[in-house]
Amino acid sequence: MKPAILTDVTKCIGCEKCVEACVKVNNLGEYKPGAEPRVQEVGDGLSARRWTAVVSKPGQHFVRKQCRHCLDPACVSACPVGAMQKTAEGPITYDKAICMGCRYCIMACPFGIPRYDWAAAVPYVNKCTLCYTRLREGKLPGCVEVCPTEATIFGDRDELMAEAARRLRAEPKKYVPHIYGEHEVGGTSVLYISDIGLDFLNYKNPLPEEPVPDRTWAVMRHVPSVAVGMTVLSGGLYWVIERRMRMARLRAEEEGRRRAEKQKR
Amino acid sequence: MSRRDLVKDVLWMLFTAGFVAAIIRFIRGLGATTNLSDATPWGLWIGFDVIAGVALAAGGFTLAATVHIFHLEKYRPLLRPAILTAFLGYMAVIVGLTVDLGVPWNIWRPAVNWQHHSVLFEVAWCVMLYTAVLGLEFLPAAFEHPIFKSRVFQTIAHWLKRLTLPLVIAGIVLSTLHQSSLGSLLLIMPFRVHELWYSPILPVLFFVSAAGLGLMMVTLEGFFSAFVYRRRIELELFSGLGKAAAVVLWVLLGIRIGDLVWRGVLPGAIDGSWQSVLFLAEVSISTLIPAVLLSIPASRNSLRGLGTASVLTVSGMILNRLSASVIAVERPAGATYFPNWVEFAISIGIVSGAALVFLFFTENLKIFGPETMHEEEKLSPYAKPRFEPLTKVRLGEAFRDTVARRSAMLIVVVALAITFMPQRAWTADQTKRAPVRPVQGLNVLRINGNGNEAFVDFDHKAHIERQSELIPTVYATEQDMCVRCHHLSNWEIDGVSTPEIDGTSKSETGFGPPSCGACHSDMYNPTSTFDHKLHVALVEPGGNESCDKCHEGGHSANTAIQCVECHKNMGPGEDGQPFDYIAPSYEDAMHGLCIECHEAEAQKLNKPLLPSCVTCHHED
Repeated sequence: MKPAILTDVTKCIGCEKCVEACVKVNNLGEYKPGAEPRVQEVGDGLSARRWTAVVSKPGQHFVRKQCRHCLDPACVSACPVGAMQKTAEGPITYDKAICMGCRYCIMACPFGIPRYDWAAAVPYVNKCTLCYTRLREGKLPGCVEVCPTEATIFGDRDELMAEAARRLRAEPKKYVPHIYGEHEVGGTSVLYISDIGLDFLNYKNPLPEEPVPDRTWAVMRHVPSVAVGMTVLSGGLYWVIERRMRMARLRAEEEGRRRAEKQKR
Repeated sequence: MSRRDLVKDVLWMLFTAGFVAAIIRFIRGLGATTNLSDATPWGLWIGFDVIAGVALAAGGFTLAATVHIFHLEKYRPLLRPAILTAFLGYMAVIVGLTVDLGVPWNIWRPAVNWQHHSVLFEVAWCVMLYTAVLGLEFLPAAFEHPIFKSRVFQTIAHWLKRLTLPLVIAGIVLSTLHQSSLGSLLLIMPFRVHELWYSPILPVLFFVSAAGLGLMMVTLEGFFSAFVYRRRIELELFSGLGKAAAVVLWVLLGIRIGDLVWRGVLPGAIDGSWQSVLFLAEVSISTLIPAVLLSIPASRNSLRGLGTASVLTVSGMILNRLSASVIAVERPAGATYFPNWVEFAISIGIVSGAALVFLFFTENLKIFGPETMHEEEKLSPYAKPRFEPLTKVRLGEAFRDTVARRSAMLIVVVALAITFMPQRAWTADQTKRAPVRPVQGLNVLRINGNGNEAFVDFDHKAHIERQSELIPTVYATEQDMCVRCHHLSNWEIDGVSTPEIDGTSKSETGFGPPSCGACHSDMYNPTSTFDHKLHVALVEPGGNESCDKCHEGGHSANTAIQCVECHKNMGPGEDGQPFDYIAPSYEDAMHGLCIECHEAEAQKLNKPLLPSCVTCHHED
């Protein structure tokens, strides 16, 4: 099973129970609506102490923002020490014990999700883990468990895809005909269906369909050949130039000797 | 004072300022001391100290290749300064990275925790190895100093010299890899890097530009040391480097323009947006103008032409790296970034420290050919001390003077650094201050406290009309109604008439009651509203006999009486609860005022959406 979340924007009433549950199960401090000291300037409600947030949109639309748990995640590919890990099951977890705090994961995320704890003297990266430890205990993610309208549901990614497709088919007039997260950057584990466009969840539009890590891997996979090639090239150049100079010197000496002999004769 | 001492004094002050700033940064953390945020996780330190810093240190491998691989022996006099500059450059990069990392003691992690998909992992390894290679390349020069005359050091130096070729080749390979990889580093952030700089061939661009920059950096550093020591400049050699650099820069320019055309973003480079202006300026300064200057023999062979070209290339390439990784990156709406002085001080301090170490080595080792040195400035560790013939006072012994002078500078700089440290570095609350924007409008108030242009339009007139219907059932009088929101306005406070007390507020808003932001002055954080100066002025203008009106005993905050003892009517709510002078944040105050009533009304009127966010915060 590939754990996934499907959020149906049409069912969300914006009660923020999910935010409260997230704060509680992840021990992110006290939950007080609207009282989060916002050190970040991103303005979407996410922060080091808010791993999920509800974004209000005109016309009574509420969109819950959280880590998308990409199938081929940029943050995991970017992390130089493997502190960002894609678990075998799929959720992306973070190991603060080995994190250097370089913030490359934050720069790489196509959805702008990971947040840094700027207020701390020793800051770490913060983001939703799809409640990986709870999943291992056989529990639901905190946000899904409390959602009163089943706007956000948990399940296997393939089954949720089927469910999303079923809802789109059943009420084609109600929904934007698109499952957000099906193909974006290679697919995500957190899926959305919605009656409004959700492009604002992407850091920048348009979001390509190929996974982001492909872009660096296209270069990185050539590292061994470049290393060998440069060694051979510089060694070869050295050898060729060295030999030419030696030959030139020998020729000059030979010439000199011959001339001397000629003069002697 | 000699020019040398003057330069070193300035560098010393800059270094000290950076050092003090670094100490405070490590104690208080990144958020408290810098302008970095989630909107700008990578700022000046990564852009300048690391990404540009590595490129600036490229002179080591280009000169090593010139002399050892291409056998251009005449450039050998420039090799040692180039290797030393590169070595110190990489040390500076490592120090800069340590300052920037959130968890600096984990800097060694890439050595153990491998993640070979990460470009940064590869860069970390190459920088580690190449710094070691540079150190080994430089060590024989250090071992020439008399203090290393023992057999052990000489044997090591001998073996290191025999290993020169493998070391040079290793250096070239490692440099090729990580100079290009610093470009690849940006490939995974296509959503942040601006399209004018983001290209699939970034690794090629970074490598080629580093090669050209390396040559010009060696030139600049030659000019710098020539200035400091009144050294004779090896003009012929530098113009030879300039000729090579011209070729590299023309090639680079060709690739960059070709890349723009091929990706189809050429129109974006000339559309007049600030990014296009930045792009054109950066390309001209770093590549075009120096390439032209270096292609004209007359200017290439002149001090002025070469100097200008090297300054332009170096500053232009720094601008190039900064544009790609910091300046022109995509940010969330409304977010901006400009480094604060702590960030500048640390960056400049690291460079100054490296320059000081460079000067130390040039004065104590044979870095530049002795024949280029000015006679009076000739510095040799091997020279015996000279004495004034009559008095037998040691000449040139300015050591004690220097120590005294530099200590005085240190004290001044430490004091200045502490004085100008951002306020939030000292407060327990490390969150950033977010000043509140005043409300606009009269009958309909446009509330835009955080300045993100997402206005809440509040119909004040309609609100008053609706609320007036509740007199006298809910509010006893009209004043009761108004003070619900305007707690400090329009009523008399202990015999002091309103205009007098509101004088400050009135000048601030121009008319009417004080703006809410006057007390709730931070968007997200509680702030103190108590103005001691104003109180002194009001209680006893020009004197301090009446301190005991508020203070019992000593003059400190602990001995002051409660506000409510004088300001009996002062209260934010209808029940006249005591006014605490720590005002809630603007956001909490506004939400507190509106949401409470809205919730009550929602119940009464059976309109469940009335207290929801979108009732007031609508995007249009």
